[in-house]
Amino acid sequence: MSAASCTAPTPASTLIDYWLGELEGEREAKLEEHLFGCEPCSARLRDLARLGEAIGHALRAGHVPAVLTPAFVRRLQASGMRVREYRLQPGGSVNCTVAPDDDLVIAHLHAPLGSVQRLDLLFDDVTSGTHWRVEDVAFDASTEEVVLLPDVAELRKVTVATQRVQLVAVERTTERVIADYTFNHSRYQT
Amino acid sequence: MPALLIANPRPYAEAVRHLPPLTGDDAELARRIAAAAPDRDDAAEAELCRRFAPRIRFYGLRHLRNEAAAADLVQDVLLMILQKLRAREVREPERLASFILGTCRQVVIDGRRGGLRRERLLETFAADLSPLADDGFEALDAGRLRECLQRLPERERAVLVMTFYDERPAEAVGIELGLSAGNVRVIRHRGIERLRGCMQPAEDAS
Repeated sequence: MSAASCTAPTPASTLIDYWLGELEGEREAKLEEHLFGCEPCSARLRDLARLGEAIGHALRAGHVPAVLTPAFVRRLQASGMRVREYRLQPGGSVNCTVAPDDDLVIAHLHAPLGSVQRLDLLFDDVTSGTHWRVEDVAFDASTEEVVLLPDVAELRKVTVATQRVQLVAVERTTERVIADYTFNHSRYQT
Repeated sequence: MPALLIANPRPYAEAVRHLPPLTGDDAELARRIAAAAPDRDDAAEAELCRRFAPRIRFYGLRHLRNEAAAADLVQDVLLMILQKLRAREVREPERLASFILGTCRQVVIDGRRGGLRRERLLETFAADLSPLADDGFEALDAGRLRECLQRLPERERAVLVMTFYDERPAEAVGIELGLSAGNVRVIRHRGIERLRGCMQPAEDAS
């Protein structure tokens, strides 16, 4: 095959499956044959792997706010990330901060999630007067908790702020508040 | 040891770095390298390295999951391939890519066997491949990526982060999230496509 043509471009989803080791032996071998002879597809694999690596870097740098799982937090810690953790029960509040040597800050929001099909989060930043909603977050109901990871880089810029978070179960025609939590953030003091 | 490598203080790889890319297909490159032996067709060898180093490296990263080991694989395989081509031992030049892949597979298997052969090869051709070390990931626009990640639906962002933080397959991520592997793949693919679409304008502009 010439350097610049590809008669059968490999879908991006297959390239990612390959990169993550999800293809069975024969499919993997066939794809590798193709990749070695096909510059455009191998370049696309390179771009996808590069994007994946950049996502990992962004997380390590504290630039990715996300709703995660307790198991993932343990993986972060096992890989050497310094994680400051806060645990809140329904209706609870906490005084929180981010220290200079923290890589990430995590809030564990404990709540009864057993029957919840879809979960939304409502944020109310009392200090700035802004509100926003995060829809359909990923969660494992069996853990009875939601793990919040804020953008740590942004958090470091905040001097003082109070933020309320509500967990909302979204049902077919209605929604109900499961629990709410309050974060009283202040800049780290030595 | 070839006299050129002893006499010429400028590494071979540096000498060929600025040669213009060749447009011929892989088989043509293989034939040129073989035809030039015992002399060297610098342009053809450089082009062969340019084309295959990234593919070998990614094969190495995929199977060895280690940047240094992947870089070693690139050196080992290219040295072996150049040796074989110069010695006219590649019988089907039109199947060069398959030959290189087969060599990669063998070297990865042999890699667990020890480094003696590698040391011997590097002793002979050490200067040939120095520019390959800088075949790393080009940096993406981190600010743009951050914006694009924040624009993703929460579920897609969580799946991408949990997948690519330490390159976990769908099944493992699914277990953590209480989702099926198939569901994780669908969300992952959708997220990647959205992210690529978002990153595209910045990449095109650069």
